Amino acid sequence: MSDDPGFPALEDVGIAERDKPPFVRLPKPETLFGLRAMRFAALAPGHQLEAYLLFLSEVAKAQDALARALPAPALPPLAEMRRRAGHAMPILPREELAGEPSAMAALVELPALLAAVVMPEQARAALGRIAQASDEHRQAMLAAVLADAVPVEAFAEHIFAAAALQVAAARRAALLDPLLPQPVADGVCPCCGGPPVSSAVVGDANIEGVRYVQCSLCATQWNHVRVKCVSCGSTKGIAYQEIEGVADTIKAETCDECRTYVKILYQRKDMELESVADDVASLGLDLLVTEAGWRRAGVNPFLLGY
Amino acid sequence: MLHELSRRQFLKAAGAGLGGSAVAALGFGGAEEALAQAVRPFKLARTTETRNTCPYCSVACGVILYSLGDKSKNAHPAIIHIEGDPDHPTNRGTLCPKGSALLDFVHSETRTKVPQYRGPGQREFKQISWGEALDRIARLMKDDRDKNFVATNQDGVTVNRWLTTGFLAASATTNETAFLTYKVVRSTGILAFDNQARV
Repeated sequence: MSDDPGFPALEDVGIAERDKPPFVRLPKPETLFGLRAMRFAALAPGHQLEAYLLFLSEVAKAQDALARALPAPALPPLAEMRRRAGHAMPILPREELAGEPSAMAALVELPALLAAVVMPEQARAALGRIAQASDEHRQAMLAAVLADAVPVEAFAEHIFAAAALQVAAARRAALLDPLLPQPVADGVCPCCGGPPVSSAVVGDANIEGVRYVQCSLCATQWNHVRVKCVSCGSTKGIAYQEIEGVADTIKAETCDECRTYVKILYQRKDMELESVADDVASLGLDLLVTEAGWRRAGVNPFLLGY
Repeated sequence: MLHELSRRQFLKAAGAGLGGSAVAALGFGGAEEALAQAVRPFKLARTTETRNTCPYCSVACGVILYSLGDKSKNAHPAIIHIEGDPDHPTNRGTLCPKGSALLDFVHSETRTKVPQYRGPGQREFKQISWGEALDRIARLMKDDRDKNFVATNQDGVTVNRWLTTGFLAASATTNETAFLTYKVVRSTGILAFDNQARV
């Protein structure tokens, strides 16, 4: 068309310089856990869960150290990943992580990294059990976390196993081409197939106001239309519950169709909000919302059991 | 669909009481109890976010209306904020100055909510019923059409046009509403017809 002098090509003027929001925002493991550790520490003073938040800050610091120290993970061949994306399957299915050497290495090294941290006897004993466990036992722990089948009598060591897996999964997802992941299903991470931890209305330039759901395992963020249930995809019966008179930056997005909720963090109002740390620190909201009859659909290893 | 029943709820249902959580398993059960005590006096506040279309022009930007209040209770629902819908392909969250002022439009004291009539030579509008308003409009339209309808032009060709009345409809309509509006208005012979304020 541009060859014809009578029909000059039209310029694409865009909408107020806004691009189409990217479908996924891949994790940046080099800063993810360090920032999370800082956020846990910042949330702690004066909080009812102060001791727990300070402890989790130390766990995130250890994850940060692991993210820098671990050997580079391997990705499947590109053709294989393309085939998975083409069939709307997760590109790096989380089950693969059970046999991933960097995940095992993370779990082996975690107890030593937390040796100097002050913590309750239960947590210390769990780290001791991990340090003394056989490789088969550690492998079984990783597999149980990945299968959402953590035995209730062994919560503590599996929380650390989940923390180790978060590091390995985030480092693996970070290697992907961001254009590769395709939508898999509502409430399913397009990279690893994991469940979400929480969602956030982001405040970043050019995509302000767009909602991203964050994976509980690999921390990939994927675009999910607002006012739509993260678990079942319903757009009917969606409401936002907040604690009356307390900050309105964290709400529970409740769905009357499937009776679940996932938290939504309004980062455009508070840029400090962090998907995992603020999820733990807003446990009070969970207590009120679950009492009102909705089930928690967000998965967070540090709130295992809720 | 994600987890049908959380482990904690299962344990609660099974009568095992508190304790089946990560917080307690790592030895921070005391803090968990303190939190549970602290939130007890608090209540939930409910807001909704609803998609709609800006009523001003035919660009039809998507908007999200934030409202407060629970419809099932006595609380009076109120719209507290309106912003561009970031998921809408037309405007991607942006709004023009008129669209940005929609909240004031909704809450304006001078907003017209009922049919009103100001007769010739009268100073004030007075409220009338929808029945009266529609009857009067229909009467005036019928009289005007009977007087000014053009069935054929100078050359005797059938044209069936009615040029002395125009019709202005809203922009924030569905395809179905637009279809019906078009069919009704055109069937009378009206040519001056627009679906937006364009101002």
